[in-house]
Amino acid sequence: MPDKILTIANATKRYGPVHALDRVSLDVEEGEFLTLLGPSGSGKTTLLSAIAGFAPLTEGRIDLRGRNISNEPPEHRDFGMVFQGYALFPTMTVRDNIAFPLKVRKRPASEVRKRVDECLGLVQMEDFAERMPAQLSGGQQQRIALARALSFEPQVLLLDEPLSALDKKLRADLQWELKSLHDRLGVTFIYVTHDQDEALSMSDRVVILKDGRIQQQGVPDELYKFPRTRFVADFLGKSNFLDLPVTAREGDEMTCRIGGTNFPVTAPGATASGDVLNVALRPERIRLGAPGQELLDGIVRQVSYLGERCLVLVDHAEVGPLMISQPTWKAEVTPKAGLPVSFGWDVDAPVILEDGAA
Amino acid sequence: MMQQTSGFRIFFMTGAWMVLAFLLLPILVVIPVSLTDTSYIGLPKEELSLQHYVAYFQDDRWLSATWTSIWVGLVVAVCATVLGTTFAIGCWFLSNRASTIARWILITPILVPPVVQSLGFYRFWVTLGLIDTHGGVILAHTLLALPYVSISVFAALANLDPRIPQAARSLGASVWQTVRAVVLPAAKPGMLTGGIFAFIVSFDEIVGVLFITVRNVSTLPKKIWEGIQESIDPTIASVATMLVMLTIVVTIITIWRRRDGDLT
Repeated sequence: MPDKILTIANATKRYGPVHALDRVSLDVEEGEFLTLLGPSGSGKTTLLSAIAGFAPLTEGRIDLRGRNISNEPPEHRDFGMVFQGYALFPTMTVRDNIAFPLKVRKRPASEVRKRVDECLGLVQMEDFAERMPAQLSGGQQQRIALARALSFEPQVLLLDEPLSALDKKLRADLQWELKSLHDRLGVTFIYVTHDQDEALSMSDRVVILKDGRIQQQGVPDELYKFPRTRFVADFLGKSNFLDLPVTAREGDEMTCRIGGTNFPVTAPGATASGDVLNVALRPERIRLGAPGQELLDGIVRQVSYLGERCLVLVDHAEVGPLMISQPTWKAEVTPKAGLPVSFGWDVDAPVILEDGAA
Repeated sequence: MMQQTSGFRIFFMTGAWMVLAFLLLPILVVIPVSLTDTSYIGLPKEELSLQHYVAYFQDDRWLSATWTSIWVGLVVAVCATVLGTTFAIGCWFLSNRASTIARWILITPILVPPVVQSLGFYRFWVTLGLIDTHGGVILAHTLLALPYVSISVFAALANLDPRIPQAARSLGASVWQTVRAVVLPAAKPGMLTGGIFAFIVSFDEIVGVLFITVRNVSTLPKKIWEGIQESIDPTIASVATMLVMLTIVVTIITIWRRRDGDLT
């Protein structure tokens, strides 16, 4: 099992009566790409600030390889940090920016020079060493910020929504670059974002936060497939939420009913004790067919064409409108508003959610 | 574009020029007066003469008062810039309610009438034994100049992204290294403006000086004031003319440099 580099125990941060962080405990493993994901106000940035040392915790502690660093100032923590607004030093050249952490560490000039060149190479910005930050584009500035944060070989690299100021295309390119940089260097990355695509595409592990608490954590695939709460299911990708009345159960196998139709649902280890299952159903797990072909019948209300797939909103008398995502290249039917269709899903498609979780 | 010359426009243009003339003429009238050939304040009678300029440069009292104003002004500029910048940077780092209140308190010298302020100086300086000393004048002027420095440094720091000092800290710089490396460079334009303001405040100040000095300390404004009280010496006009010229030169240089700055 890999070593833990950071251990966060019961981290609580209060601003007056507001809990920005509420008893958050989290282990960060050596070399992993960990993403803190959440909407604004979820506490993800506060948690990162606490790790960086800018926001002292009200309660709880943070350990770096077994050493309590809760009360250490940011400059003693040896964490590189990349900010949303790049935060390059505007009065220094690119070279001086990257050399800054080495100079404050009093490294010899020859070593500084060599290391700066290495770091410029790392982010493919060799030709820009003598420019001023204001002369660079957003994407270039962020590369320099990255090189600067990595130049002193930090124990952990903290990234606070580093891509959110960039346009969509550039963001996608930099995601690949960040990921490959992480894989090459083996440095531990802690990445904060509100963008679920970024979280899913880069991370080894994602921690979803809401209202200062951890909602769920896991590898992206597992989180996407098995959200535990409605919040997670809704925040990561799209979901349909259904309340299914249970008519019969036998271990993990249940029978549910919609209208007059009974169908089986597999719910491994389902805790649902009542007569109703709260389930999330991913739009891409619902099949669309000609009337009568699938489990339930409905009428197409609206279609949204997105290129590689299309989103179809289907009305059903009992369950209301359902969002269905269909690959355009293997469509069984060409959906049009007003068209009668049928739809259905595999036994394991509905994911049972915990009760009461909003 | 066609110039529109409606009656309305002519009315307002005339009004504007008259206000401008009203503002400028009393200042400009010192120029002919300074060139008078008479020995009292008045317009030249027979010919233009530079005798009152010569008198200024030959009179030790005028020269020493000028020199006092200059060096006191420079010391005040340095003190006020150091203190005001420190204050502004401290408040910027805190940026909480206490620091906002502190900022308000610091600018009260601008709000309090100079006579009231000077009376306060007088009472205090008697207790402190600072009456009629250069130190007393420097201290009083520094207090009067502080708000100007801190306001201009605050304005300069408003452009500094708070994440930049955070970045410096996270990269391993101590608070002091951070201030030196990234905060001071950002504050520099404000410090420069503030320093110039502080010098002008001190150079120009008279009410306080009249209250807290007797014979030992004489600044240029005080000497001009006394010159009018004692005699009607046209030297005053020549001093005034030189100050006006100096102001015009400095203003032109400033405008010219700023335009240059915009081009780069």
